[in-house]
Amino acid sequence: MTWENFEMIRAGAVLGAGFSVGFAAIGAAVGEGYAAGKASQTLAYRPELSGDVLKTMLVGQAVAETAGIFGLVIAMLLLFTPNAAQPTIAAWAFLGAGLAMGLSAIGCGIGAGLPAGSACLGIGRQPSASAQLTTLMLIGAGVAQSTAIYGFLIALLLLFKKLPDVVSMPGICALVGAGLAMGFGAIGPGIGEGIAAENAVYQVARNPENGTLLTRTMLVGQAVAESTGIYSLVIALLLILGT
Amino acid sequence: MDMSGADFVRGMALLGAGIAMGLGAIGPGVGEGYAAGKACEAVGRKPEEAGLLTRTMLVGQAVSESTGIYSLVVALLLMFVVK
Repeated sequence: MTWENFEMIRAGAVLGAGFSVGFAAIGAAVGEGYAAGKASQTLAYRPELSGDVLKTMLVGQAVAETAGIFGLVIAMLLLFTPNAAQPTIAAWAFLGAGLAMGLSAIGCGIGAGLPAGSACLGIGRQPSASAQLTTLMLIGAGVAQSTAIYGFLIALLLLFKKLPDVVSMPGICALVGAGLAMGFGAIGPGIGEGIAAENAVYQVARNPENGTLLTRTMLVGQAVAESTGIYSLVIALLLILGT
Repeated sequence: MDMSGADFVRGMALLGAGIAMGLGAIGPGVGEGYAAGKACEAVGRKPEEAGLLTRTMLVGQAVSESTGIYSLVVALLLMFVVK
């Protein structure tokens, strides 16, 4: 089996593209489905609120979709950026980029869907607070997206970093390991921050006058949940830049 | 590609560091988020106990964080100590 250098690079890139969009699609779809389910649940007993609930559901789903779109963008970049001038080790960097983006989008898609679902439920309970609920939903979902953005950054870094010409086992493993560290590391914080936002949004619907206090508690809790995502980012950056 | 045994060990250590930190971060992330979610629920029911609830949440999250820190330590050891 003799392979040209460029065929090796393209093989890594197309496999990475598959991982990127495939894994990313899991999270976005689960999150959006959860939001749609909660919206249907609300409309079953408050059909007159269909306008508000549908609007909030769609806004929340759009946020959850961004993680899927990041995966699509990285997959497209992986399909069209490889060129014959790159060193062979780029194949492994492309595989790592796909893993970093795809896996990190799983948690963030689910996490962004959870507050969207509880915002729909909350509007059914307290229609007058719908603007406040949508705002808190967007803040919570935005924070839950942050680890997908770290994944996106690591994927871009792996795609466009200048790589050495020598192919070595430590070099290969560092690039793939960086992708795995960031990708898996982003799943937990994404889901956890989504759970925090889900409960905060629903409690604001019960008592809108507690909004400020709940926003503060939610953000403190999310900040702590974010910490392991940041450790993963640090390890991924050390693995990429240290080798 | 020439590969010595030492290169192979070093490579596997780096791959292991990535897997350790990546998988190790899943649990604390979900667990701490769950604690934060329940704390929000409790603050919603009893806003006057917000101080106590925030403190309890932070203590619980600190314990939940410990395995994430173990992963970080092991990943750093694999990267910088294993030769």
